[in-house]
Amino acid sequence: MLNAFKRTITKSALTFVLVAAAAIATPAAADEAAESFVQNVLNEAEPILELEDQAALFEGIESLVDKYVNMRRVGFFVLGQYARQMTDAQKEEYFPLFEEYATRIYQNTMSNYSGQKLVVTGSNDRSERDIIVNSQVAEPGTGDGLSDTIFHWRIYRNSDGEMSVFDAGANGVWLAIEQQSQFKSVIANNGGGETGIQVLIDQLREQVGG
Amino acid sequence: MDAKQIITACAAGLILSVTTGHAQMSDAGDPTDFAEDLKRGETPNTDGEINDPWEGFNRAMFAMNGVIDGGILVPSAKVYRSLTHKKQRKGLRNLLANARTPVILVNDLLQGEFKRAGETASRFVVNTTIGFGGMGDPAERMGIPQHSEDFGQTLAVWGAPSGPYLYLPFFGPSSLRDGIGAAVDTTADPVFWLRTDAARLTGYSRAGATALALREPLIEPLADIEANSLDYYASIRSFYTQARKREIANGRTNFEDLPDIGDFEEFDEIE
Repeated sequence: MLNAFKRTITKSALTFVLVAAAAIATPAAADEAAESFVQNVLNEAEPILELEDQAALFEGIESLVDKYVNMRRVGFFVLGQYARQMTDAQKEEYFPLFEEYATRIYQNTMSNYSGQKLVVTGSNDRSERDIIVNSQVAEPGTGDGLSDTIFHWRIYRNSDGEMSVFDAGANGVWLAIEQQSQFKSVIANNGGGETGIQVLIDQLREQVGG
Repeated sequence: MDAKQIITACAAGLILSVTTGHAQMSDAGDPTDFAEDLKRGETPNTDGEINDPWEGFNRAMFAMNGVIDGGILVPSAKVYRSLTHKKQRKGLRNLLANARTPVILVNDLLQGEFKRAGETASRFVVNTTIGFGGMGDPAERMGIPQHSEDFGQTLAVWGAPSGPYLYLPFFGPSSLRDGIGAAVDTTADPVFWLRTDAARLTGYSRAGATALALREPLIEPLADIEANSLDYYASIRSFYTQARKREIANGRTNFEDLPDIGDFEEFDEIE
């Protein structure tokens, strides 16, 4: 028992040293271009998030999402392994519905943070094409509970170097990852493949009320 | 039998029923091999896959909790909100968090996090004294922020994989490891060992108060998520799993673990 415990400790210590060494050897580099891209988006979002009229607020968020979120790529991502099984006809049906659905999620989520000014605090590149930019509330008011929240933006850089928003998250919880989990579950529980995908499309249509 | 014993018995029965239920549901490997399930939970989920071999059981429990939630908990939480002021609710949340400090302290120590253990102990002393028994949180303003620990996290630090996702009646989303951890945590609570009427009453009141205090701020967010979900069960499962990972890492977010955006070359053709 004691020996096993010692082994665990030694192993943990060793793992820790290895991980620390790896962290020192290959620091995830910051990506300044991605950081300034996000800060620009946040600056543009600031006056929109101050709008008091809900219709205007939602319209503003929609225009931001249209401009910056890469719906095509997110739409494929949330299908997981099923993306390859979608027929061309299904793609044509699916993408406009998905865009409407995802926009609505952004509207609901972002409107919860109305009146907050976010500033970029750093970034972490997973690869040259896949960068995480972090941001926080600039002037945390007392007791609003947001001061400890880190808002993440996952930035995708295409082969031409153009950047777009791929995903948004808070404190390690990501929207597109959650959507992928749902979509895959719906497809898998409804026969998988083309059949399951069709059920997903029908449910999306029902959800967006189209 | 008092409430705690009933809960413990339920938890034991639940784990048993899960085991046997699993024996009927799973078709992979040795059906009674628990270690197998735990090991599968260890597989890094780079594709965002969540290990949920007991989905049938979990969905049934999810549906049952949904009925209790909609029928009792949410209406009670709304009444609670209407009868109290925001500051009072914050006070109650602080009080309950302070009462949980002994459990956090034990787990800080078990994880060898001595600095955090010191913070936990200081918070308890400061908040119990100048924080009026824990209603206020002066420790936070003194720069000793609150953090959570539980035995599930301790097991994770010790190297135990999460095991399959487990949706527990009354407790909600969990995993095999964290469910066992939650059962162990109840025994780390001093009130658990007192066998007096007062202690029993404290236990009941605290369980009820905790349920209300935790549910009240989530009335709108959860309603929102439910309204926007195609599969509410899968939503909660994903939110829980993602948040839990960060909690175990003591707030450090690991971006390397995220599922990849997709094959760049392949998708480049689409654009």
